[in-house]
Amino acid sequence: MSLLKAEDITVRDGPATLLEPLSLRLEPGEPLVILGETGSGKSLMAQAIMGTLPPGLEAKGQVGVGKHMLNAAAPQRFRGLWGREIGVLPQEPWLSLDPLMQARSQIAEAHRLVRGLDRPNATTRAEADLAALGLAGAANKYPHELSGGMAQRVAIAAARAGGARIVIADEPTKGLDAARRDDVARLLLSEMGQIGGLLIITHDLALARMVGGRMIVLRSGKIVEQGTTNQIFAAPQHPYTKELLAADPENWTPRQRAGSGQTVVSTSGLAVERAGQHLFSKITLDIHAGEVLGVTGPSGCGKSSLGDALLGLLKPAAGTITRGSEKHAFAFQKLYQDPVAAFPRKRTLGRTIYDTLTLSGGRPNEVDALLARLGLDPRLLARRPDAVSGGELQRVSLLRVLLRNPSFIVADEPTSRLDPITQAQVISLLTEIAAQDDVAVMLVSHDAALIRNTSDEVLDLGPHGVPDTFENATDVRVGT
Amino acid sequence: MVAVLIGTATFVMMRSLPGDAAWRIAAGRYGYDNVDAAAADAVRAELGLDGPALPALLQWLGDLARFDFGNSLVTGQPIVDEIAHQLGASASLALVAVLLSLLIGPPLGILAGLRPGGLLDRVLLVVSTGIKAIPQFLLALVLIVVLAVQLRWLPAAGHGEARHFILPSLTLALGLAAVNARIARDAMARIADMPFWRFAKWKGLSERQTLMRHGLRNVSVPLITYLGLQFVTLVEGVIIMESIFGWPGIGHALVHAIFSRDVPMVQGTALVLGLGFVMVNALIDVAVRRLDPRVAA
Amino acid sequence: MSTLDFATAPQAQLSPSRMIGVVLIMSVAAVSLLGPLILPGDPLAQSLTKALAGPEVGAPLGYDHLGRSVFHRLADALRLSPVIALAAVMMACAAGLILGTLTATKGGWIDKGLVMLADALLALPGLLLILIVLAMVPGTVVGFWAGLSLVLWVEFFRLTRAATRETLASPAVQASRLLGFGPVYIFRVDIWPEIAPMMLTAAAFGTATAIMAIAALGFVHVGMRAPTPELGLMMVELLPYWREAPLALLSPVIATFALLLGLTLLAGSRET
Repeated sequence: MSLLKAEDITVRDGPATLLEPLSLRLEPGEPLVILGETGSGKSLMAQAIMGTLPPGLEAKGQVGVGKHMLNAAAPQRFRGLWGREIGVLPQEPWLSLDPLMQARSQIAEAHRLVRGLDRPNATTRAEADLAALGLAGAANKYPHELSGGMAQRVAIAAARAGGARIVIADEPTKGLDAARRDDVARLLLSEMGQIGGLLIITHDLALARMVGGRMIVLRSGKIVEQGTTNQIFAAPQHPYTKELLAADPENWTPRQRAGSGQTVVSTSGLAVERAGQHLFSKITLDIHAGEVLGVTGPSGCGKSSLGDALLGLLKPAAGTITRGSEKHAFAFQKLYQDPVAAFPRKRTLGRTIYDTLTLSGGRPNEVDALLARLGLDPRLLARRPDAVSGGELQRVSLLRVLLRNPSFIVADEPTSRLDPITQAQVISLLTEIAAQDDVAVMLVSHDAALIRNTSDEVLDLGPHGVPDTFENATDVRVGT
Repeated sequence: MVAVLIGTATFVMMRSLPGDAAWRIAAGRYGYDNVDAAAADAVRAELGLDGPALPALLQWLGDLARFDFGNSLVTGQPIVDEIAHQLGASASLALVAVLLSLLIGPPLGILAGLRPGGLLDRVLLVVSTGIKAIPQFLLALVLIVVLAVQLRWLPAAGHGEARHFILPSLTLALGLAAVNARIARDAMARIADMPFWRFAKWKGLSERQTLMRHGLRNVSVPLITYLGLQFVTLVEGVIIMESIFGWPGIGHALVHAIFSRDVPMVQGTALVLGLGFVMVNALIDVAVRRLDPRVAA
Repeated sequence: MSTLDFATAPQAQLSPSRMIGVVLIMSVAAVSLLGPLILPGDPLAQSLTKALAGPEVGAPLGYDHLGRSVFHRLADALRLSPVIALAAVMMACAAGLILGTLTATKGGWIDKGLVMLADALLALPGLLLILIVLAMVPGTVVGFWAGLSLVLWVEFFRLTRAATRETLASPAVQASRLLGFGPVYIFRVDIWPEIAPMMLTAAAFGTATAIMAIAALGFVHVGMRAPTPELGLMMVELLPYWREAPLALLSPVIATFALLLGLTLLAGSRET
């Protein structure tokens, strides 16, 4: 028997239909993945099943959980299922734990208040839950003392302490690097076991592939394709699914190496510290015009700091950085992970672009040419940075940087907040510009596949490539 | 550190006061009508007011290290005794006011914050904005006219009995409550929008259980922190209330001391207030550390 | 021309509560500025026969205990403390802005010293500082101006310093610098738009605080001296006669409340 059955779920915002009739079943031991980009309606789907739609949106349809049959139009009835039948794994496990409460109590309270155990029993059960997840020592810890991965495990235990067999995970890998993402996938699968149900809502293709089971692909509130996950990945039928899968960096065609031009910047024995913490040392590299240098590694390894050092924003702890023959003093530029924060907040994009144009002494038709080249609608310039989409704004950032006629661009995780298809567009524009305008690009990303398939040279600052674990070994040399 | 800074600052300020200090002090002792040049000269000689400023300052700082604030220039009594006497009156008034405000403000604020934009929230916003716009002396005036003069329920001034507390402390408490209701409301609204609040409900807890277990403690942290910042506002309020209601406290004494150029008295009082500020904030620090493990780390 | 025609931003609208605030302030200002022009009269002229008399054409708000026109005294009072308050706020704002930007950019011992001074001033009750300055400086008006400036600059300083430090560390400023924009551009485009709304809020709060302080000290007889018409002083003078002449007492009370409420509403919430 299905653990969860949803029939003809629709979500409407007044006259607008946000989610067209959708049905799904969740079977014990077989995970279900709902895959979609931002705006596909995948989170609305989850909210409709949970009864947590934001006010103003109305849902229709039937949701069956165990022997209960509920009407999606009456969300208040769903409250009784929370914790008892359905456990939710929140997006940000760290922020989802009460910062003033120890891990044990956060789990024990669900055992006591939801399942109805007495206090000593609830505490014992909570400790057993933690031990089962390999967190026996963390019972007395507060959330700020837990790592992200530990917090996620505490959250899973707490979500299921009320007796829930079904787990709904909404974007469980948001903002995680590859290694952490794989941990989460394994954890979710092992928690589900043979009898549990697991519903995963994600845009992360790698996560979907790891989880397997069945999959529904959503786009603009409509089902595009459904079937077993393996089948869809092996042979996508719908054009959108094909485009989406092709946008996965794993599936990109590796870049053809461009002939290297003049050296733009080079380092020798470079070591960098940030806030007193040693990041790496002995990095020697040469970056040439027209070349893409990919830098990868887990969070905190010093990828971004390397970029800042090359740009002259961070003083190296040791070693030298030499700039090649520059076109002008401001030929080294940067693209940011969060482009909204990189523009003056209260100025229209047009004015910022115009200021940059005036500063570099260019002509207005340069802007028009670049807009066309980057595929941007000129009307975007009348808006403020927070009123355009992430992909568009990153292209406007690129436009602003290009107006300065750069010889070197550091792109610091420029696409980590974008959907796969948009990410593919932005990255291909960036590599195109490197080749056509003879600009050196340093691309920083935690996504090893993306770096592998876009770069001419790769620098891995991760545990396997960290140069300073071999203090006496030869320097890491890239491109020299 | 703060103590020496405040002491020196007040010393410099008081020294640079215009007008003949000796004359003013003599007036304070004997009344303005009875002062003549001879009396002023006598005071001047007695107190060494003619001497250079620096040795006087150093001597004062030295005495301070031995907790000797010197004697009041007006009454001749040791400052320590005078302040100890007045401090009790002021502290009890302030304490009653704070407790009263905590009974009024935060509960309303939490209820409003649970439903931002709801009826209670909007009414509370209007009322608290209104009260914040009323100066405390005006609030006192309204309460005096209504409760004491018109209805004759309470005495308008005086000190010593419990009922004398009601008007001044209620005035102070209303002003404080208008602000800490807003603090509690904003904190509650922010917490109710946090992932851990949603997650507590998803775990299966009821609204009431979520509030009791995850709401109150989290609201109390910003509230207590804010209480420390309110100390200075509270002292200002106490100064005004004591002057209006004739409350024999430290604020009342301070205003008098400034006008009669009683330098040691002003220094002593300012010092005590500064120390009070430091002490209250240290206490609040300890309380917040106990509540919030993130700060303690 | 080209696409850069789009480079103009729509102006932000005032929120309804701020509009009410502006209207309240404007009406109080209208009474104090236009009132005496329409209906000339002397705020100090006494005529004991009319003591506590009700309203008449020459004195629309009646007479006080010394037979002076409450209307003309009120109009005078409503010019006096707001002008002192505004002058003090302007001084405090300028000092706070300059020192705050300076310390945020330069850092070092200037920063440490000024922050310590600001903290020490915060530990002292503002009214106490004002009282001491009042006693030091000859002339009550100048004394209030100096004392209030001394008390109020701390808030402007702290806000400016915090916001400037935060903005200077932001990617937006880093990007501007990399592009080659100078400090003037960065201040004008990146920093000023962030602190300007805070400055307006702080200035409105500061003006309200200043007016309250002047009135409070007047009310307890340690501020402005009689016979100067001042809001707090008028209230305490008329308090004993509130049964005989309620309107005379209520007028300064209502005017003060309207003015302060207007300023509080104009200030809006601290978050903006």
